[in-house]
Amino acid sequence: MLISRNVKETRKDRILSWVFIMPVIIILLVTAFIPLGYGLVLSFFKYKLNMPGMKPLFIGFDNYINMFKDEMFVQSLTNNITFAILSVTIEVVVGIVVAMMLSDDSKRSRLITTILLVPMIIAPVAAGTLWRMMFDRTYGVINYLLSLIHLGPVSWLSDYHIAIFSIIFVDFWQFMPYVAVLVLSSLKAIPDSFIDAARVDGASSFDIFGKIVLPVISPVIIIVTMIRFIDAFKVFDTVFVMTQGGPGSSTEMLPTYIYRQGIKFFQVGYSSASAILFIIAMSVVAVLFNKLRTRQLRRLN
Amino acid sequence: MKDRLTSKSSLSNFLGRPFKVIVLAIIVLAVLFPLYWLVINAFKMEQEYFARPPIMFPHHGTLQNFSEIFQKYKLPLGFMNSFLIGSLTAIFTVFFGSLAAYSLTNGFLPRRIKEVFAGWFLIQKMYPAIVIAVPVFFVISRLHLMDNIFALILMNTSFNLPLVLLLMIGFYQEVPYEVEEQSMLDGCNLWQRYACITTPMTKTGLVAVGMLTFVASWNEFLYAVILTIVRAKPLTVIIAGFITDKGLAWGPMAAMGCIVILPVIVLMWAMQKDFISGVSAGALKG
Repeated sequence: MLISRNVKETRKDRILSWVFIMPVIIILLVTAFIPLGYGLVLSFFKYKLNMPGMKPLFIGFDNYINMFKDEMFVQSLTNNITFAILSVTIEVVVGIVVAMMLSDDSKRSRLITTILLVPMIIAPVAAGTLWRMMFDRTYGVINYLLSLIHLGPVSWLSDYHIAIFSIIFVDFWQFMPYVAVLVLSSLKAIPDSFIDAARVDGASSFDIFGKIVLPVISPVIIIVTMIRFIDAFKVFDTVFVMTQGGPGSSTEMLPTYIYRQGIKFFQVGYSSASAILFIIAMSVVAVLFNKLRTRQLRRLN
Repeated sequence: MKDRLTSKSSLSNFLGRPFKVIVLAIIVLAVLFPLYWLVINAFKMEQEYFARPPIMFPHHGTLQNFSEIFQKYKLPLGFMNSFLIGSLTAIFTVFFGSLAAYSLTNGFLPRRIKEVFAGWFLIQKMYPAIVIAVPVFFVISRLHLMDNIFALILMNTSFNLPLVLLLMIGFYQEVPYEVEEQSMLDGCNLWQRYACITTPMTKTGLVAVGMLTFVASWNEFLYAVILTIVRAKPLTVIIAGFITDKGLAWGPMAAMGCIVILPVIVLMWAMQKDFISGVSAGALKG
């Protein structure tokens, strides 16, 4: 809060206040606003970096229109949506169950919570590499373990239909703990007496979950779902090391697609257009979630 | 020790105790086994990591993979880059972030400025870093900062500032305002109050925030792969390179994986509480 009762503000302090936030404003300008504006401008031009003689050519909305005719774009969009919905649903459902199981605050639960922190803090690139190694069709340990119970071998990363589920699994491995840890911290807010009282009144576990636990944790669940859903559209590192978007384009996601178009194929204008469209889509998602959240908060009050 | 039958444990045994034990055991195994696998592969010989059936419990280890990444895969340079990117980003973020957070909390700025920063936090959480990758690529090459770790320090500082600002505004708000008032009456100006009085009182928080920033920049990959070519490659880019262009050099790859992961796990162990509260604050206050 900006409190300034009964203290005189001097001119020097006022100037210093601005000096203090200047570095942050400059960094913000150079690394966020200018690139964003530049990207918006580029998105209206036909501009290829690998043709040095070619001047950027203004083409209006053509980049945007062409995108929807581009099968690769449409596929990476559908892949990304599938990935987001499946991974977030599984992470949130399992995360809630795990958080409840760890809610007894025993020594063992605290130890497990610590262990659960590991996947979410290691570099996604390292996690992807690790699972790339374990999922290998011939030498991977997963297929070996399956062979012990006479299953497989499965082409985890090179089968057109399976690869995306392997990526979902790795995302789950990394971020289910994130959901569990956050839900766990909100479960601590439930007073023991509430549950005791409900027990005495003969409420079943499911009543307790639905009538006491769920209302308390639902604001957290909405926020966590929103964060994970938005993050699912940032997935890059794991895809990059595990499948490179393949086989075919079965695991191509929006970030890897934009990367490939812009940085690898130098389709600068086109890539910028997909980035801008991406921003618009994410804003819509954020607004929707925010509506949901305010409605929830209102109902709680 | 037997669990007392309190309400918390009844919540915890929601789906029945046997089921809970099974689920938790599977999860712990699923977390720990891959890490175990990574470590033992790092110490296996070349013919061993392609052995069929795979060797689960090796009896002897070799440091061959580590010496190979040291010589062939530029481990010292990569480690140095990652370390410098992580620590300098942490220092810059904490310094600039605390200045700004202090000014936003105790300085004399229009209220609207603060709202703008709160908005920025939300915006940055929402928009994937990839959307500005292409223009940033241009800006960085114009500034002749390609393949220079300073470019990555700049970008990582920018990515981490919103969360750092948010957390630090919280720390400064916890310092009683009387402290501010008293030192103001003593004639300290804003800088003196920031540097000598208020910031030292938030030291533990600053260290925690710095470590969070270090871990995030140590792990960063997208901009590292876009903005580096040879000299400035951090470990994350080198390890990805094992898969994309070096075929299946699993032993060195696993050894490199251990080196990428280990420092982060050690840091996390040291600051577990701050880490959890940092993560929750980042999610819940936004």
